[in-house]
Amino acid sequence: MKPLTPVSPGARVALGVAFFVVFVAAWSAATFSGYVSKTFLADPWTMLKSGWVLLTEMGFAEDIGMTVWRVVGGFVIAAAIALPLGVAMGAYKPVEAFFEPFVSFARYLPASAFIPLLILWAGIGEAQKLAVIFIGSFFQLVLMIAVTVGNTRRDLVEAAYTLGAGDRSLVWRVMIPGAAPEIAETLRMVLGWAWTYVIVAELIGASSGIGHMITDSQALLATDQIIFGIIVIGVIGLLSDLLFKAANRRLFPWAALGR
Amino acid sequence: MNPILQIRGVERRFAGAGGGTLALQATDLAVAENDFVTILGPSGCGKSTLLRIVAGLDQPTAGEVLLDGQRISGPGADRGMVFQSYTLFPWLNVLDNVCFGLRERGLPRAQQLEIAHGFIAQVGLAGFEAHYPKQLSGGMQQRTAIARALANSPRMLLMDEPFGALDHQTRELMQELLLGIWEAERKTVLFVTHDIDEAVFMASRVVVMSARPGRIKLDRTVDLPHPRHYSVKTTPAFAALKAELTESVREEVRRAQAER
Repeated sequence: MKPLTPVSPGARVALGVAFFVVFVAAWSAATFSGYVSKTFLADPWTMLKSGWVLLTEMGFAEDIGMTVWRVVGGFVIAAAIALPLGVAMGAYKPVEAFFEPFVSFARYLPASAFIPLLILWAGIGEAQKLAVIFIGSFFQLVLMIAVTVGNTRRDLVEAAYTLGAGDRSLVWRVMIPGAAPEIAETLRMVLGWAWTYVIVAELIGASSGIGHMITDSQALLATDQIIFGIIVIGVIGLLSDLLFKAANRRLFPWAALGR
Repeated sequence: MNPILQIRGVERRFAGAGGGTLALQATDLAVAENDFVTILGPSGCGKSTLLRIVAGLDQPTAGEVLLDGQRISGPGADRGMVFQSYTLFPWLNVLDNVCFGLRERGLPRAQQLEIAHGFIAQVGLAGFEAHYPKQLSGGMQQRTAIARALANSPRMLLMDEPFGALDHQTRELMQELLLGIWEAERKTVLFVTHDIDEAVFMASRVVVMSARPGRIKLDRTVDLPHPRHYSVKTTPAFAALKAELTESVREEVRRAQAER
């Protein structure tokens, strides 16, 4: 195979689907043959059936709704504060010098380690779930946005100055629009991480949500339900990723040109 | 007539070990209104540094630059600049790139568009208004950059090897285009290049800079008649001037290499 030779769009889709097929086939082979005991791993068919039961009889759709709401809620709050702070840090070096060391420290604090504290402070209600997502995504967002904005091409900055731009409009008309596509990419990536935090938050002290269903199923050794829950998370993650990508392409056509 | 631009004893020293590097030695230059001055010199002679100081993007360690008698302290819309690198804003199409400075001045949109369309047509890009920079060739990007600088109606135009990244044929066409614009508008231009043909063809005056530390070693008026056709490059007068400048620049390149 020749390195870096592109594949046609059709072949790309076919190859991508093929792996899912191989994956499910291997899983089927391992479970239907009885090679792996049902206690440890349910087969795909049982998984789908109990997924249907979960959705139709046990109100799992509501759990999914709760989880999505928590992720989006916590993430939107984090992004709403991280955006202006990140831009300010990227553009103004004293602001960066003030916040950067702390943010760099804070981003290594694992969000899940805060759960006991957050339960103490905020109880086991929604505020605690949102807080976990917030802690998990906020510091990452701030730092990555600051770096992106700080990496504004210097020659564009100089060009803007020679065209009469002032300091304020340099930020608004050069640094922010120039960094926007990469910031959108950052948001897309960190949203993916937020998904892992929400499940952890729901594993402990929750009465609804996908993570809650998974812990309940654990007590019943219902591996079919656990796997269904995990797959639902994967599918939602994939969908949100695709939506984000499509939105980015529409919002920033200039960045995708010639790529 | 009073010069539009006065460079007085401008010196630039870059910080570093052993007192740093002297990039530009006390330089004096006066540019008259409507002049097209090309600054010629080997690479690393400080000619771009000098231009950047005039643009206000770099500060001299000594001396001063006066534009219309006013001391320059920073960049401003009165000195339009075209860079060697492609500096169009990638998120703006051709039209909005050309409008950038006009919008900055707070002009009403209708007026911005009127001015921008005029300059886009002048650089031969009518019909490309909605294109993004990535969809344009290098020559088209630099033409847009020229239109963007001119749209601001600056007192003078500063050009830092604007055609340096272009292929030879495109470069010659761009020279004719720019010269045509200059012949029509008589905008004062300060143009840095290391291409001797380019320097002579475009200029009403050529200034040669020495190897580092840069200083002006030769100052020649170019009397070739206007409007200039590219065929002027084969005339004896052009050849004679080119020969003299080539000799002068060569000597500097030699010296620079000997010092390395």
